[in-house]
Amino acid sequence: MDNFVSGFKDAFQLIITLDPEFFEIVRLSMVVSLTATLLAAIFAIPFGTWLGIKEFPGKRILVRIIYTLMSMPPVVIGLVLFLLFLRNGPLGEFRLNFTATAMIIAQFVLVTPIITGVVFNGTKERGPDIQALARTMGASPIQTVWLLIREMRINILSAVVTGYGRAMSEVGAVMVVGGNIKGHTRIMTTTIAMLRNMGEYSLAIATGIVLLLISFLINSLLYHWQQER
Amino acid sequence: MNITIDSLTKKYNDKSVLDIPEMEFQEGCLWGILGPNGSGKTTLVRIVAGILDSCSGNVLYQGDKYSDSIKKAMTLVFQRPYLIRSTVYENIAYPLRIRDINEQEVSSRVNELIESFRIQSIRDQKAWTLSGGEAQKVALARALVFKPRILILDEPTSNIDPESIMLLEERILDYYRKEKPTILMVTHNIQQAKRLCNRIAFMNEGKIIDSGSPSEIFGPGAIPKIKEFIKKGLI
Repeated sequence: MDNFVSGFKDAFQLIITLDPEFFEIVRLSMVVSLTATLLAAIFAIPFGTWLGIKEFPGKRILVRIIYTLMSMPPVVIGLVLFLLFLRNGPLGEFRLNFTATAMIIAQFVLVTPIITGVVFNGTKERGPDIQALARTMGASPIQTVWLLIREMRINILSAVVTGYGRAMSEVGAVMVVGGNIKGHTRIMTTTIAMLRNMGEYSLAIATGIVLLLISFLINSLLYHWQQER
Repeated sequence: MNITIDSLTKKYNDKSVLDIPEMEFQEGCLWGILGPNGSGKTTLVRIVAGILDSCSGNVLYQGDKYSDSIKKAMTLVFQRPYLIRSTVYENIAYPLRIRDINEQEVSSRVNELIESFRIQSIRDQKAWTLSGGEAQKVALARALVFKPRILILDEPTSNIDPESIMLLEERILDYYRKEKPTILMVTHNIQQAKRLCNRIAFMNEGKIIDSGSPSEIFGPGAIPKIKEFIKKGLI
């Protein structure tokens, strides 16, 4: 119980003293996860929408693969990417292992199926109705896509926030490809894992509390957005 | 705008749901599409509206195939309309906005319809808070706002209150008398068809089994199958 109490105290202290090392960890965590989520969203939103409204042979199998990838263990993703990025691996020439770029790629691979799956589910439910409305109103293909995005915005936002939350809370994949190098690839989740190994439980809890606060802030924004609409 | 149907078929899992060798919905007529459940009425109007593909055959609009200009001149009001996640005003304004109509014209046309549909009190209400009758009024107002030459109505008054039905019928007739569009109206209600329509197409098992004026279709000379449906209360 002492660890929790001192964890809260440490979290408070870390925030008010603006500890530079800690804030660098928070900054890198957010940059890596935001970039990965943004890139995943750019790909997954149109893909999930398209999948929701189009019928084609093999669609069922593709959807099953996406659902499977949604629950893919992050450490497996990390391991596969690590092997691909090894010097003698197929992508070794890019020297990506132990860089923030590799961590972004790992989170991108992790988050893309999640955003695709959530957008697909929402579009599958309402997409055909929205498409039919657009067509019967005389909308052009571009106007139809725009209407779909506008009508599905809450679902899309939920998908992106879910993806971002997954990226922020992920540890296995980024640990394998990033290596938790101080000032270089150290982020909040890898810090927590490291502090736990070092027996620095209260500092690990403090980092966890800040991570939770960031999550709470993001979810509050989503909730506010949903209530507004 | 004339609608001509030529050898139109539609199948689901090898089961034929529509098979119309030929049919013409003449320009400026208010057609009632009647028939028992599962007779292919909705499938027919959805194909005509361009939101469902047929398996074979053609639908021609004034002799032309479905195109962007036809799409912009035609609309369909669904039995359960989809209203966009916005206000009543914005829903009705939507077809005008995608046609780049100037804001003054939008405001004038939308407000005129809001008044004629007696929905001033819900003008700024969000669409998802509306009752079934209110939603159907908004959907019909939205369909009429861009003055379509072909208006297709798929059971627009089912499951709504009698007062709303009366108002919707009045607005449909007003629009018909003023603009003389081609209207196809799917209905289960013979009395409603008699009140509104000047032509009837009666469907059964995916086929149009008879067409003509209401008095021809439902009068003493009605074909035995239709008499049987009426007698059994199947429509």
